[in-house]
Amino acid sequence: MKRSSLVLLASGLLTARLIAADAATESVDRTWHDTQGRAIQATFRGIEGDNVFLQVANGYVHRIPLAKLTAEDQKMARTLKPAGLGIPLDPNLAQAAARIDTLVNGGLTKAGQQPNPLASDEQFIRRVYLDIAGRIPTKDETVAFLQDTSEKKRAKVIDQLLDSDGFSSHLFNYLADMLRVADVAQKARFYTYEDWLKDQVRKNVGWDKIVYAMMTADGHLLDNGATGYLLRDAGMRLDNLSLTLSTFLGANVACAQCHDHPFAEWTQRDFYQMASFFGASETYGVKGAKGGSQMEMRQVLRSIDDKRLQNAAKNIMRVNAMEIVDTGANDMKLPDDYKYSDGKPGDMVKPKLVTWKTEDTRLKSYQEAGNTIKKEEELRDTFAKWMTAPDNPRFAMTIANRMWKRAFGVAVREPVTDIDDVNAASNPPLLQHLAAEMVRLKFDMKQFMRLLFNTQAYQREATSYELADNAPYLFQGPILRRMTAEQAWDSCATLVVGNELDRYKANRGEKYAAAMKIDMSKPAQIEEQIRNAASAMRQYGGGKGNPKAGPAARKRMAMKQAQSGDDDTVESTPPMRDGLVLARASELPQPERDQHFLRQFGQSDRQIADSGSDEGSVPQVMMLMNGDAQRAIGSNESLVVQTAARAGSPEGAIESLYLSFLSRKPKPDELATAKESLNSGLTLKDLTWVLFNSREFIFVE
Amino acid sequence: MKPLFLFDSISRRAFVERWAKTTLGVTVLHNTSRLVSAAETAVANPTGGPGFGKAKRVIFLQMVGGMSHIDTLDPKTGETQGPKAPIKTKADFQLGGTMTNLAEHADKISIIRSMNSKTGVHAAGQYVIRVGYEQRGTIKHPILGAWAQHFQGPSHATLPASVCVNRQPAAGNGFFAASFAPLPVLEPEAGLQNSTYDTTDDVMQKRLALLNKVDAGFRERFQTAGVKSYTEFYDNTVKIMSSDDLKAFSIADEPSELREKYGQNKFGQGCLLARRLIEKGVRFVEVASGGWDMHNNIEEGMEERGTELDVALGALLQDLKDRGLLESTLVVLCSEFGRGPKINGNGGRDHHPKVFSTMLAGAGVKGGFVYGSSDARGEMVADKQTTIQDFLSTIGHIMGLPVDEVVMSPSNRPFTVGDKGKVVVDVLA
Repeated sequence: MKRSSLVLLASGLLTARLIAADAATESVDRTWHDTQGRAIQATFRGIEGDNVFLQVANGYVHRIPLAKLTAEDQKMARTLKPAGLGIPLDPNLAQAAARIDTLVNGGLTKAGQQPNPLASDEQFIRRVYLDIAGRIPTKDETVAFLQDTSEKKRAKVIDQLLDSDGFSSHLFNYLADMLRVADVAQKARFYTYEDWLKDQVRKNVGWDKIVYAMMTADGHLLDNGATGYLLRDAGMRLDNLSLTLSTFLGANVACAQCHDHPFAEWTQRDFYQMASFFGASETYGVKGAKGGSQMEMRQVLRSIDDKRLQNAAKNIMRVNAMEIVDTGANDMKLPDDYKYSDGKPGDMVKPKLVTWKTEDTRLKSYQEAGNTIKKEEELRDTFAKWMTAPDNPRFAMTIANRMWKRAFGVAVREPVTDIDDVNAASNPPLLQHLAAEMVRLKFDMKQFMRLLFNTQAYQREATSYELADNAPYLFQGPILRRMTAEQAWDSCATLVVGNELDRYKANRGEKYAAAMKIDMSKPAQIEEQIRNAASAMRQYGGGKGNPKAGPAARKRMAMKQAQSGDDDTVESTPPMRDGLVLARASELPQPERDQHFLRQFGQSDRQIADSGSDEGSVPQVMMLMNGDAQRAIGSNESLVVQTAARAGSPEGAIESLYLSFLSRKPKPDELATAKESLNSGLTLKDLTWVLFNSREFIFVE
Repeated sequence: MKPLFLFDSISRRAFVERWAKTTLGVTVLHNTSRLVSAAETAVANPTGGPGFGKAKRVIFLQMVGGMSHIDTLDPKTGETQGPKAPIKTKADFQLGGTMTNLAEHADKISIIRSMNSKTGVHAAGQYVIRVGYEQRGTIKHPILGAWAQHFQGPSHATLPASVCVNRQPAAGNGFFAASFAPLPVLEPEAGLQNSTYDTTDDVMQKRLALLNKVDAGFRERFQTAGVKSYTEFYDNTVKIMSSDDLKAFSIADEPSELREKYGQNKFGQGCLLARRLIEKGVRFVEVASGGWDMHNNIEEGMEERGTELDVALGALLQDLKDRGLLESTLVVLCSEFGRGPKINGNGGRDHHPKVFSTMLAGAGVKGGFVYGSSDARGEMVADKQTTIQDFLSTIGHIMGLPVDEVVMSPSNRPFTVGDKGKVVVDVLA
């Protein structure tokens, strides 16, 4: 139903065309009048100082001086309970968020479903800390939020967390799982890659620019961390491409690498035509046989007499040899077992871009790629420009769909690595819109997440029933999620040391590169350089990490690695308790060693993309019940125990622990039960154990 | 219809392709659903018949680093012989000079001397020999223990179906649920990690009782599979921790003479632990022995690792026999590849995937039997080439698994036990 109405003053931005909201039955959504007799249909979002905030149907929130409303409406504004999320900080953002809500609600309505009620402040604060900063809030942070009476507090805390170190750390963890970021790969250390990626995230570089840089990076791993993505799979460009297409474009082509895709339209030839864009680029990894620095490397090795040093030199030169070079000549051929009629094994393959629809070729990105596709020296660049272009049919959609899943627990189209068929999404218009928003926001992931976190859909209660396997989930709210391994670990550390946690940064890349870099232009000093690098390398545990190092050795290593920090704001050593290094998961080894909390709780081993697990197991539960983490949390030095002990009374201590672990106060019966147990022989330490082992702790509402 | 394994290779391939076409197009339910098996239309590998389902339990001995076949199961004379001359055994074949204990049990074992692998790299080779598939960046494949759990369910009310001793299981559940992953025991003497609590029984009881109350509201509100599975894991863990079953992990309870017999080292004690575990109801136990990458001084290497293996394996076969378990337990000995015929400049042997040997003993297999052969130097397969897929399919068959049945991963890709290998029927008994 369209209707025109008189426009209130507030801002000139207000358009005359208003659509009555669906939920017109709520009294907070009503027609408001000003003293000059003009009317507006709007939802009451709150009152602050002398201003009233009214949201019109298109989502825009107007700030209107109270005095301009009729006396009756002024009274109404003072008595009504605000609907929704309170007062937004940015009216345009509120409007964009409302547009998403409209699409979500449209999907729900169509299916005859209702959205969940809005989450309570307690649920909200724990959720946003975990989703944005990757950890639970401390008791103080929770209390500060709960006591804040401002109608703007939700929007404010979202903004504050988006600007915190935790945001970068948490997003890095997500990307590290997605991109299989590992300290050790190809027998070299990828610290420069990790630092480069962290830096991109910290500077909030656009996703298109990050991916473009990874696809087109040149030079040595030690000099240019961006080469890490391609060098991670040095010598395996087909595997790498298969991952590139599924990760960044949601194109499920793993099958087409070896044969025509059995379900989708991809053919093996399509795959090789895409691979051809990388046919003129050589990734020299450990086994790079020709060219690069390999010849020089052999000469150096021959010149060293000392056998032990020669071995060390091999490893060092190998690391120095990790390099991407454009050869200028495409050598991509069909595989030896090619069995289709459109080509013979060993045929050269010319590059060609895949399409999802035949009309795709009319898009600007395809047209532009067509102009450079014949230039073999620009093949990677051509591919990267096409892939990261705003009008690429899947690039923006893939990252938007992934970011949505981070916020809601389920993607609009699952799995995120296979979104070829957009119409199979649970809500196709929503998915299309999210992709358009990602483009509008210029691939700014922080802005995009800010948008999602400010939707009503996100701020609703978590869905409490089990999703059916085949029924699409339409986002009544986020689903109940188990914490990721990194969220759980960072939360454990928060319980022990609070927000001190963020003061330690690993910063290993620069130091590692400096130690390992051999300057070939100084042949006379090469042996000396190698001696120095060899002694530095011992600290990194040789070429392949140091899995056998005991806790003491690990501690020494962590200390050593940490001592490079020149920056005053950064701790040079992380806090240690009970043999645990209490730093962010993002600053610990990537991935952690097998027996570490992180791995036991499901951290990806970084061999398989997107393979962090949220499943339980008996060894994992044994670790939660009896392992190092519960010991550190329950120890007398732990922040939660000390905070609770300061409360003075048993009730105060119990309330403090509930706020620390669960971001809420205990209900009266819970308080009574806990008090009773303190009287029957349990201690505060035991209570920390109980709360830590509760389902409510490890799940995110 | 003629069983497929009797067809020549071309008609077999044609069959598999046709069969793949009919099954791949089928829409399947989300998550590891089972498809109609080929067995319902035709038989590719035998289900039933000799050996099928004889093994109720498997002990899988994994020599990490590449065990020299020439110095163990496929001895040679002449320049490729190595440090020790071949020795006679109870059966009509010889073994490497270090294998004096195993020689006494030769009547219980089948050796496959015509194994062949495509990879000479450790990590990739280890991956394939455990799961039958090549490593990919997009999916993980399950080990045989996880496959068995999929088809046959858990093997015990509280104990895990699979245990992995002396090594990380590296997510052996593959694309199955995490609960299918083998439980790791990194130190046989120490038993299960984190299995004891650092407080009194009384306090732990009170903690658990309180936990139950504290969490009740949440569990009631959120009846999702995730929450329920955690509650089950807690129940199971508490059950294991408070039950006698935990003792299955305690080799300290074994008589000291027996512990001595297995050898006082990680591998020997790991084998003893494996026997305890399968005796108590664990279905699949992998025991790893490291240090087989003998590029240098293979004489010393065999003296150490080889002797450990020989002593432990001899003790294990005897122990299983004495307890009447050997008939229902399959003991497997394997490695990612063999080692070359040439002794290199450092007195060692280098990686050699072109031919190597594996061993099967106990349930479902012939005793005193050799299948296939390498050439005189132990360099190439001479007869009856056997792939890793064939080898794993054979083990799966003896475990009673439908090795031809296609199972779809959650990502909707088709997989089978042992990646469509051909069961080595000749070794079955």
